[in-house]
Amino acid sequence: MKKAWIIALNTFHESLRKKTFYILLVVALVVIGASRFFSFLAAEDELKMIKDVSFSTIEFFGALIAIFTALAAVSGEIEKRTIYPLLSKPITRSNFIIGKLMGQSLIILLNVILMSIFFIVLLFIKKSPPDIETFKTIFLIFIELVLIGSITLAVATFATDAFNLIFSFFLYIVGHLISYGKSLLERVENVVLKGLGEMLYTVIPNYENFNIKDKVVVGVQVSWQYIGQTFIYGIIYIAIAVLIGIYFFNKREV
Amino acid sequence: MALIETRGLSKIYTLGKNRQVVALNNVTIGIEEGEIFGILGPNGSGKTTCLKLLLGIIFPTEGEIEIMGENQYSVTAKKNIGFLPENPYYYDYLTGPEILMFYGKLFDIPVSVISSRTEELLHLVGLYDARNLALKHYSKGMLERIGLAASLINDPKILILDEPTTGLDPIGCKETRDLLIKLNQAGKTILLSSHFLSEVERVCTRIAIFHRGYLLSSGTLDGLMKDYQAENLEDLFVKTIEKFDTQEKQEVA
Ligand SMILES: Nc1ncnc2c1ncn2[C@@H]1O[C@H](COP(=O)(O)OP(=O)(O)OP(=O)(O)O)[C@@H](O)[C@H]1O
Ligand SMILES: [Mg+2]
Repeated sequence: MKKAWIIALNTFHESLRKKTFYILLVVALVVIGASRFFSFLAAEDELKMIKDVSFSTIEFFGALIAIFTALAAVSGEIEKRTIYPLLSKPITRSNFIIGKLMGQSLIILLNVILMSIFFIVLLFIKKSPPDIETFKTIFLIFIELVLIGSITLAVATFATDAFNLIFSFFLYIVGHLISYGKSLLERVENVVLKGLGEMLYTVIPNYENFNIKDKVVVGVQVSWQYIGQTFIYGIIYIAIAVLIGIYFFNKREV
Repeated sequence: MALIETRGLSKIYTLGKNRQVVALNNVTIGIEEGEIFGILGPNGSGKTTCLKLLLGIIFPTEGEIEIMGENQYSVTAKKNIGFLPENPYYYDYLTGPEILMFYGKLFDIPVSVISSRTEELLHLVGLYDARNLALKHYSKGMLERIGLAASLINDPKILILDEPTTGLDPIGCKETRDLLIKLNQAGKTILLSSHFLSEVERVCTRIAIFHRGYLLSSGTLDGLMKDYQAENLEDLFVKTIEKFDTQEKQEVA
């Protein structure tokens, strides 16, 4: 675990040198900042708007950063051949994958924290300090982003960057729409189709589970139990993604 | 018992459906403690493939590897190995000391020990003055030098070097040769691959000649020269390879 952590810090360090991180961060901050110019709205609506836009921005730009860092984490090392000296050190291949996951999660965390600080400052300016519900929302977004990154990381161990990029974005969209699929599924009569649908529904992570902003924005409280359950749901999917990543990376010739 | 042993080691690369490259064919060698063992061979003869197999970076199609009594994936065995890849490349945003610190930590070496070794190693490979320079500003020869320093950070028992003098100027080559002899005298076993016959002639205690994935011959330089009635290593090299090629032609005919 200590070795994974050393690799994690190196990955974190490396990502901080990339322009992508800063560009995405700046664009995200601009979007969040722009949300306060809806001042033609009534004060209450404006606040809702700011929250809605900010949560969505943290989630969307966080997802971009998660996907791009995870893409670079494995194939970057292979392309630049830095993987040769690394794998010749006394580390296991699982140390490598777990280290990469921890490193990219640190980057995601930093990004979420920076965007949230900006958002919270904005709330203070609007004389509406954040409540605990705001933090619950951000916490679940963070878990979702780590999950998104871990899936891209897992796919990177066996697929090309191009495939991975398309797959990750596709999954991002499908993972958000899957709840609709579930309600459609209830109307399906064919047993085979239904079974297949149920299977897909179980396999594909439901990213909407992590989305509580619609409730929080209108002032509905979300129970700690729900937060806990969703956290565990996320951890299970992350663990599965990491195991898949380790499995394929163990077979990967670099 | 040999420090490094391969038994019937083969590697076939598969490119697409029906295209295969036999990069290494049934190679059995043993490298004894205290040797400087040189792998010689033309381009594409399987030298790098062999070394990558020893480090578990790629996997054998057939055969076995034993390093200090363990298999090539063993973390314990790797603690005792220093590896310099062919045309090495490292995280280019780091400086020399930062690279050595990163690798040193992966060996579980205390930070204070890494720092003092770093100073020593940078002097040894002549990069002390460039210690604040990020690797992206390094020249090819400087990368080779930092690679050599990095391969020594754990004070390894075994050094595996893939063309350690490629990209070095004549003085750098000589310095590296002298260094290898010094390290060997200090008890390190060295396995290197090279194109430079004169280099191998000067430093290696035993050599192996690879050609098209086959191990054609191995032994001490004197012994091999006698066997092939060769005058020097160049002559030996050419004769060994010619003999193989004519034999192969006869077999085809
Ligand atoms: N990843 C790979 N995929 C397919 N073929 C490969 C791969 N790596 C090496 N080969 C092939 O294997 C053979 C041996 O290559 P290798 O790199 O081991 O040679 P080498 O002796 O190190 O050559 P050089 O002196 O040029 O460094 C070559 O024919 C090469 O084309
Ligand atoms: Mg080579």
